[in-house]
Amino acid sequence: MILTGTEIDRRVHTGDVVIEPYDTTQLEPNSYGFHLGERIAVYDTPIVDVREPLKLREFTIGPEGFVFQPKQFYLGHTVERIGGITCASELYANLSTALCGVFIQTSAPLGHTGAVIRWTLEITVVHPVRLYAGMRIGKICFWETLGKNTSYSGRYNGSDSVVVSRIIEDGENA
Amino acid sequence: MILTGNEITNQVRNGNIVISPFSEDRVNPNSYNFTLADKLDVYEEGEIDVRKQKPTRRIHIGPEGYVLTPGRLYLASTVEVLGSDSFVPTYAARSSVARLGMFINLSAPLGDIGFIGCWTLQLLAMNSIRLYAGMPIGQMMFWQVKGNIDLYDGKYQGARGPLSSRIYQDFDQKKTALAPPEHKVLGDAAVAGPAE
Repeated sequence: MILTGTEIDRRVHTGDVVIEPYDTTQLEPNSYGFHLGERIAVYDTPIVDVREPLKLREFTIGPEGFVFQPKQFYLGHTVERIGGITCASELYANLSTALCGVFIQTSAPLGHTGAVIRWTLEITVVHPVRLYAGMRIGKICFWETLGKNTSYSGRYNGSDSVVVSRIIEDGENA
Repeated sequence: MILTGNEITNQVRNGNIVISPFSEDRVNPNSYNFTLADKLDVYEEGEIDVRKQKPTRRIHIGPEGYVLTPGRLYLASTVEVLGSDSFVPTYAARSSVARLGMFINLSAPLGDIGFIGCWTLQLLAMNSIRLYAGMPIGQMMFWQVKGNIDLYDGKYQGARGPLSSRIYQDFDQKKTALAPPEHKVLGDAAVAGPAE
């Protein structure tokens, strides 16, 4: 079952859901609105090979915002550190963002139980869009689990800003 | 409710979830990592008419991998047969794959209860990305349902390998059931048109 906004608020207070910083005005009927952080990364390599190190270019969105361009892939991050201790989560664009032609993830909404991090966002746009750091960009919802929980202990644990793909760690299995 | 990794493992063991082949080291806290099969299909150039079957070209991914062209749609397949008669599956890219700049489905993550087969993935890369057959590419989640279950009996049941869209079959069926709407309008207009 999906948590209602009231239940998210209750669990933030019991510590079962972590949202930092937390602001009750960002509670929605069944989600919480999160915001775009200022760090952006783009791959700076002709071919992204899952078995090779990835070259990057990073920059910060200034007060004037930044115009995201179509056909370019950007990695961004949430301002908030968010996660469920006993529940799973999913991150989606909010309607206002999607209506501007912005994707904030590329078919990967799932946040595992126990992953409490600043989430890396996969940003692509279908036409030029100016986005600003600190703007509300998406919503996270929380799901109760069935079965014995194991807490996420994967390679993105402790993420505090943009984190590029660490798929190279898969080695020959990649 | 979403099943935990432990519960997915339990349900595979008691037969309520099919994941074949299954390996415990691919179990995540809330999902199971599936892998990329070695065949890709791409539609031939030109428009796709949803009322007609569109020919595809088969690509085999060799040991050196295969570089996806940005903006091109590739139909891929899971190595694994996955599904359940008891839980609803949804799937997502692995985070490490999405971060490369790649979709593995195009706003279609929801599966049907009762579909058991290889899943056709819709790969769309934003960068030139080199992929390898057998790499863990996505993750399947399973959800508890509420209500009576009617099992999937649709046109993709039992799929093996990538399948191109069978949307044209929707129109074949409707042809026998009801006249295409625009013909009806044209017919009415003709009747109401020039009088004898």
